[in-house]
Amino acid sequence: MAQFGIEFVPRDLYWKTTFYAIQAEKIGFDYLWITDHFNNRNVYVSLAIVSAYTEKIKFGPGVTNPYMIHPVVTAQAVATLSEIAPGRVVCGLGVGDKTTLQMVNLNQERPLRTIKECANIIREVTSGKNVDMKGEIFQLTGVNLNFRATNPIPIFIGAQGPKMLALAAEVGDGILINASNHRDVELAMKFIKEGAQRSEKKMSSLTISAYTSFSIASSYEKALKAAIPVVAYIVAGSPEPVLERHGISTAVSQQIREAIVHGRWKDAFSRVNDDMVDAFAICGTPAQSVDQIDKLLKVGIDQVVAGSPIGPNMRKAINMIAAEVFPHFKSYDG
Amino acid sequence: MAIEKIARKIPSSLWTEASEKLIDITLNSPNAARMPSELAKTILYYWQRDQLASEIGLQRLLEASMILEPEKTFILMGELGLPDLVVMLKGTQE
Repeated sequence: MAQFGIEFVPRDLYWKTTFYAIQAEKIGFDYLWITDHFNNRNVYVSLAIVSAYTEKIKFGPGVTNPYMIHPVVTAQAVATLSEIAPGRVVCGLGVGDKTTLQMVNLNQERPLRTIKECANIIREVTSGKNVDMKGEIFQLTGVNLNFRATNPIPIFIGAQGPKMLALAAEVGDGILINASNHRDVELAMKFIKEGAQRSEKKMSSLTISAYTSFSIASSYEKALKAAIPVVAYIVAGSPEPVLERHGISTAVSQQIREAIVHGRWKDAFSRVNDDMVDAFAICGTPAQSVDQIDKLLKVGIDQVVAGSPIGPNMRKAINMIAAEVFPHFKSYDG
Repeated sequence: MAIEKIARKIPSSLWTEASEKLIDITLNSPNAARMPSELAKTILYYWQRDQLASEIGLQRLLEASMILEPEKTFILMGELGLPDLVVMLKGTQE
């Protein structure tokens, strides 16, 4: 059965995020991911309060990064959460957001090696081992927690490029493919299979997820309005091969990027067209969303993550997903 | 009259509708940051237990709504056909 995740950005007041988290659990979401940016509310504090008001939904950072947060601290945080909510904690890991990392003078150096070592550290430390590691990025001597995670904590790797996708399959329990369009996901599956083969893993042992930008509303126009700012950021930050694959001009991407950098939001958002939205978001009415989700599932996705903005009105959007999307894909037991 | 007593005057036939609309007012309020944290946690407690459309849940929602959006709360009570409650709620502000 298809699994569904939902992403919350803790820009909102803690009680609103928690309210929506409870709602997401009630309607049958399987996973809840909370983003990790230093300029929003802290991800682990947000997850801790969510854990106190929920009972079955799995949750974790979606995603944290090893440049800002040392992997032993991430291990400590997810192990603590696991004590509060045994068996429900997952850990999403990625290279982070370039823009916010640059604000504190951090660069995404040697991303593949960094993610690989980070995943190993989190897995080893949360399993209760005494860890010595002489990595190329991280060196640990006699590291162990004074408490133990109550269950193994699955590690999901956020990935978009070919090498990171393959690595994610090698070192992760799950993959969060940073894509909304089935064509991108289909291509990603090729690299994931390569990574799985290299590490002699069965594809069925991996939870492969499409981490989408998602906007649902009663009309396409309403959903579009909410999706445009997110799509503008995605277009501005997408590598050339991805833009080319969707027939989007790199010059326009550059123009959007410059407009965003200089705070010319209207200019940036006005350059977003339907093709870009189609390429980078699941956007539209429930029927349109169902169609796009169906395409993702057909190329082998296990979990569809509804990422920001979800919709112009969060509560209505979640209810709409419950009433008009989930029944197409899973038995509704809310 | 205290908010709790006023909330008790909402007929049970209107609890679901009142609850839904008070939740919307609260969540969509631009004054959401004014919500007292303890009240927010009580609302979350009742939400988790599906009790926001009960008498006790409505009491807390009405309290929140009056803190964040008193004018919208008056309008809602009027729309629900409860003009007496509008007068009582206005009285709590004096």
